[in-house]
Amino acid sequence: MLPNFTYERPGSVDEALEHGSSEGAVLHAGGTDLLGCLRDGVFSAKKVVSLSGLEELRGISPTRDGGLRVGALTTLTGVASDPTIAERYTVLAQAAASAASPQLRNQGTIGGNICQRPRCWYFRGDWHCLRKGGDTCYAIAGENHFHCIFGGSGCYIVHPSDTAPALQALGASVRIASRSGSRTVPIESFFLLPADDIQRENLLEPGELVTEVLLPPVASGTRSVYRKVRDRGAWDFALAGLAAVVTMPGDSVETASLVLSGVAPKPWRAAEAEGALTGARLDAETIARVVAASVAGALPLEHNGYKVALVRGLMEETLRALA
Amino acid sequence: MGKDSDQTRSQSGISRRNFIGTLGAGALGAAVAGPGTATTQEAQSAADGHLVVALRVNGRQVRAAIEPRHTLLEVLRDQLELTGTKPGCARGECGACSVLMDGVPRYSCMTLAAEADGHEITTVEGVMQGEELGHVQQAFVEHDAFQCGYCTPGQVMAAEGLLRRSPNPSIEEIQEGMSGNLCRCGAYAHIFKAVSRAAELKRGGEV
Amino acid sequence: MKYYLEWPEPDPTNLPPPAQDIEPWGETRVVGKPLPRVDAYERVSGTALYTLDMALPDMLHGAILRCPHAHARVTRLDTGRAQAMPGVRAVITAATPGAAIPWYFRGQGPTSMLFDEHCRYAGDEVAAVAAETPHQAILAARAIDVEYEVLPFVQDDAVALTPEAPAIHEGGNILGQETSGRGDVEAGFAGADVVLEQTYHTPCEIHTPMETFVTIARWDGNRLTVWDSNQGVFGIQANLARALRLPLTSVRVICNYMGGGFGSKLGLSKYTVIAALLARTTARPVKIALTREESFICVGNRAANTIKLKAGVKRDGTLTALDAVFLGSGGAYPAGATSTYLVQALYLCPNVRVEDNEVYTNAGPSRAFRAPGMPNCAWALEQMMDALATEIDMDPVEFRLKNIATFLQINDTPYTSIGLRECLSDGAKAFGWSEARARPRGRGHVRRGVGMAAGMWAYPGDPRATVIVKLFADGSVNLNMGASDIGTGTKTVMAMVVAEELGVPLDRIQIEHADTGTTQNAPSSGGSQTVLVSAPAVRAAAIEVKRQLLELAAAQLERPVEQLVFQDGEIMPADAPDQAVALADLRGLRGRQVIVGVGRRHPHPEGKIALPFAAQFAEVEVNILTGEVRVLRLVAAHDSGRVMNKLTYENQVFGGMAMGIGLGLTEERILDSRQTGKVVNANWHDYKIPTAKDVPIDQTCVPIDPHDTECNTTGAKGLGEPAHIPTAAAIANAVYHATGVRVTDAPITRGRMLSALAERRGE
Repeated sequence: MLPNFTYERPGSVDEALEHGSSEGAVLHAGGTDLLGCLRDGVFSAKKVVSLSGLEELRGISPTRDGGLRVGALTTLTGVASDPTIAERYTVLAQAAASAASPQLRNQGTIGGNICQRPRCWYFRGDWHCLRKGGDTCYAIAGENHFHCIFGGSGCYIVHPSDTAPALQALGASVRIASRSGSRTVPIESFFLLPADDIQRENLLEPGELVTEVLLPPVASGTRSVYRKVRDRGAWDFALAGLAAVVTMPGDSVETASLVLSGVAPKPWRAAEAEGALTGARLDAETIARVVAASVAGALPLEHNGYKVALVRGLMEETLRALA
Repeated sequence: MGKDSDQTRSQSGISRRNFIGTLGAGALGAAVAGPGTATTQEAQSAADGHLVVALRVNGRQVRAAIEPRHTLLEVLRDQLELTGTKPGCARGECGACSVLMDGVPRYSCMTLAAEADGHEITTVEGVMQGEELGHVQQAFVEHDAFQCGYCTPGQVMAAEGLLRRSPNPSIEEIQEGMSGNLCRCGAYAHIFKAVSRAAELKRGGEV
Repeated sequence: MKYYLEWPEPDPTNLPPPAQDIEPWGETRVVGKPLPRVDAYERVSGTALYTLDMALPDMLHGAILRCPHAHARVTRLDTGRAQAMPGVRAVITAATPGAAIPWYFRGQGPTSMLFDEHCRYAGDEVAAVAAETPHQAILAARAIDVEYEVLPFVQDDAVALTPEAPAIHEGGNILGQETSGRGDVEAGFAGADVVLEQTYHTPCEIHTPMETFVTIARWDGNRLTVWDSNQGVFGIQANLARALRLPLTSVRVICNYMGGGFGSKLGLSKYTVIAALLARTTARPVKIALTREESFICVGNRAANTIKLKAGVKRDGTLTALDAVFLGSGGAYPAGATSTYLVQALYLCPNVRVEDNEVYTNAGPSRAFRAPGMPNCAWALEQMMDALATEIDMDPVEFRLKNIATFLQINDTPYTSIGLRECLSDGAKAFGWSEARARPRGRGHVRRGVGMAAGMWAYPGDPRATVIVKLFADGSVNLNMGASDIGTGTKTVMAMVVAEELGVPLDRIQIEHADTGTTQNAPSSGGSQTVLVSAPAVRAAAIEVKRQLLELAAAQLERPVEQLVFQDGEIMPADAPDQAVALADLRGLRGRQVIVGVGRRHPHPEGKIALPFAAQFAEVEVNILTGEVRVLRLVAAHDSGRVMNKLTYENQVFGGMAMGIGLGLTEERILDSRQTGKVVNANWHDYKIPTAKDVPIDQTCVPIDPHDTECNTTGAKGLGEPAHIPTAAAIANAVYHATGVRVTDAPITRGRMLSALAERRGE
């Protein structure tokens, strides 16, 4: 049962920002994550500000630089089934198609997907954990099968989004509006680690709103793929996933972007692996080096050591397929 | 004991043939509009903190007074007495409450009723043709695509939505399309066959 | 250890002999056909009224306050704040007059109280509220102020066994330790060519049926009516009457449509008693619907098992000894935890020893869960059989065929029929076992393999059903039976039995069922007994109706009964079909307007036992880089006797296998054992039941009918539970075949698969 709140459905972004700036206001895009959080008491809301009246935040259109603008309220189904995205930004279409369930993809939005709260069961459950303002991370000594192997400190969540690593691999940016204007932030710097802020997963300030996602043009010959591994065949978050965007005009890899999901509190760029791959021929030796580099610095907890093997496996499988 | 401030009348499952025109208490009045007059209408705030929403449910225009926190599932069942739509988890994890909003399947437990304002909602009662079962329902009967039947209205609506979007799905597309509806009895194998058969029936195949 | 399904416990020994001598069926005309369900329309149209859909005028809603600690004592409880909340009509606690009700969880006791001040798991009932709306009730329950003395808790089964562990019940945590068996296992191992030993583990699984746990209680003077989502109204009635100290006649329990139970709704739950108390206190009907989260915590589970199994075999495939140690815990209020049955019974083996240990832990209560203890036991035994076959280089099917027991070795009782041989051989044939087994398993990172497992079910059923069939003046029929239809097609199958005997079309049979006020006693729908217990009673009742009709026809046609035949709803002299009389034209029937036939289930056959058998086959694909296991196809061959309805039979088999995929690959309750002792995954996202994408499209059901004329008058044996028993083990064996890695801990999550692969590589 949901707690009480008031409800506003503004007709313009300005109005939405106005409402969104009031104390205790939360934004409702698709609502699939928000309502779950409110129901479970993860956080509370005095006012729910629905964005569903903001038509201008929907839809996909080309940008002048040859890229693509995806309105923040575009549904995951809309992203997954868009022919341009499927063809040129395959990694993103695949990521969107792999999220949640058909019904949730019909409702959930790309903006909401990158801003969703973590799924750590202590955070979602009735444990007053560090991220909720408490003084303990229960995952450290507790049941940490699904927690992070990279980037944890104090708190060991993983970022739950599938589309975020795909966007990061593509070098996308997000446009953020607030009453004081708007700014564009590369998605790479949009997300925060617990070391940056233990209670937030991204740099959105209260009253700010993601209005659109901007995809840069893709070089011809770019190949991209999102591969997700989950415990259940559908309707499950990633144990680990890999968003890979690679250009390989000849025999050698020219650029490589390898971003992992499900293993860190934010989409995790496997920088050492990218380094090992860039400029190299995609042969068995390179693959072995990249695989080894992909887990450099991994610090598993008691029950999630398998994620190290899983990241290696994902990397190996994906590179072999690209070779 | 305490005073009452939350006297919303709850479910009444007594009437099964649910006609929107006979709304229970709690709705501010069920206006039945003429056919085709659904208009997008902003949820209006009533004086007592309730909102008045205008929905088109199974082809009929209804207005309901709701609290902002009410989900579409709660309004369908508790106010409109459309108990065909089933609560399973109240948190978007099972699909028993699936309905169509503007022809697209979604979970009514994860949809604020206020968000459905101005939209066309179809529930399992709405895919019937009078007393006759719809194509998907017929196919579910033929192939015994359920056991306890509790998740079935949600399965039917997911299948209905899938077939409206993709009239001739492959068996793998069916499997994917039905993956947002849990069936603890595990009738999946028959559900696949039933959805395939329903596609045939919808295309005007042999009945 | 024994599983407790029902109280009072069935006593199949003191039943009267059958009233009529009924011949077994030969060929049937209606029974066996793939007919759609008689209540299919209601179920697909949304018009079927489940308990959760129901409301009564002036009804209140209840909510329960549960202990948040894994082990605690209530030291102070103040309901003042809750009482003053809006809409609140009653708050009840242990101190409320009439609420000091002893609580029984193993048939006898008492071993705790309805509201027990000693809370033994996070979820124990502390107090309850009735209010005008569900929301008000929940808020008020939260506003009850409770102080707890938090106690140390134990959740590890092995630790619970130790003397230092905090005592959960008086007398310590060891609920039972028993050893049984036959022969001399040491001599058996000494005579073996190969001896293997392995420890297996199965998880705690949650039933979590789609319709949550819900009850509506209403008093009419001193009489209580309860609409309750359950699997057997008579068991609920008996226990509720005992709890409230009422005669059976004052308690009516009704459950028509119910949304799944799988064992969790067999027994009386506290919320039902609480609803009755709240309704009595407020003099208004009270509905309590548990939340989904509560359904994961406090209304049953399949206990986790640790099974250490040692087995000896000769090179020729003869089993020489089986030695098993079981450890399980059904939590703080267990209904049972383990079943050693398969080790003792499935295969011919002269030397068997089983040691069974059951302990209390500070966790949610177990309840019978589809074949309680058996899939766990199969997980161990059937993987061991597979490993032995590998060791002696024998095909797993051939190995099992060599060790079929033709009698129940536990008590040397012969079976009425045994189709295990055909299950193995016909199943293997349908699967293409030999070819699939020989196929290359792949060299890349995606490997394929096939595996199989066998099983049997242990319960012959409680043969106590009484059924009434009424035939009306127009020839239409009312079937009145106590059995519940929990989704297995009971109503449909029973109507088909009536149609078979009386030639009445299904749409002219009205069914009244699962109502203690209007139908007659029948056992609960659990234990795979419903068809084999109630269908013979239905058949007897229909035959009794037929007998009376033949008498009426004999008078009308002026022929002795022996010369008449009953065919397609008409009665005619065998030598003069042209004189046929339709039932509606029988003058005697028109005069009386109704014929009533009472049928009773006959006792079980003397000196024999009727049990079902099964063999299932799986093909899987394993990605050795990612640990992903995909089930590609399944074949199930079942000897459940006569197929009563091909469509529902097949559906139930596939359903059992889907649940088996859950045990094999995805399902596992996880407790925060080292910190708070609470369930961390009490929801359908974190507790992963299989979705449409986890079951294979390619599934085949191969019914084996041994034409059992002794088991009962229909020839049907149980199906629901055997369908679930071998699946997980078959998958594990296929995983082994694909990868050479044996995963002994269920479920085979991606993580476990990867860890097992890494271990094999020596990492």
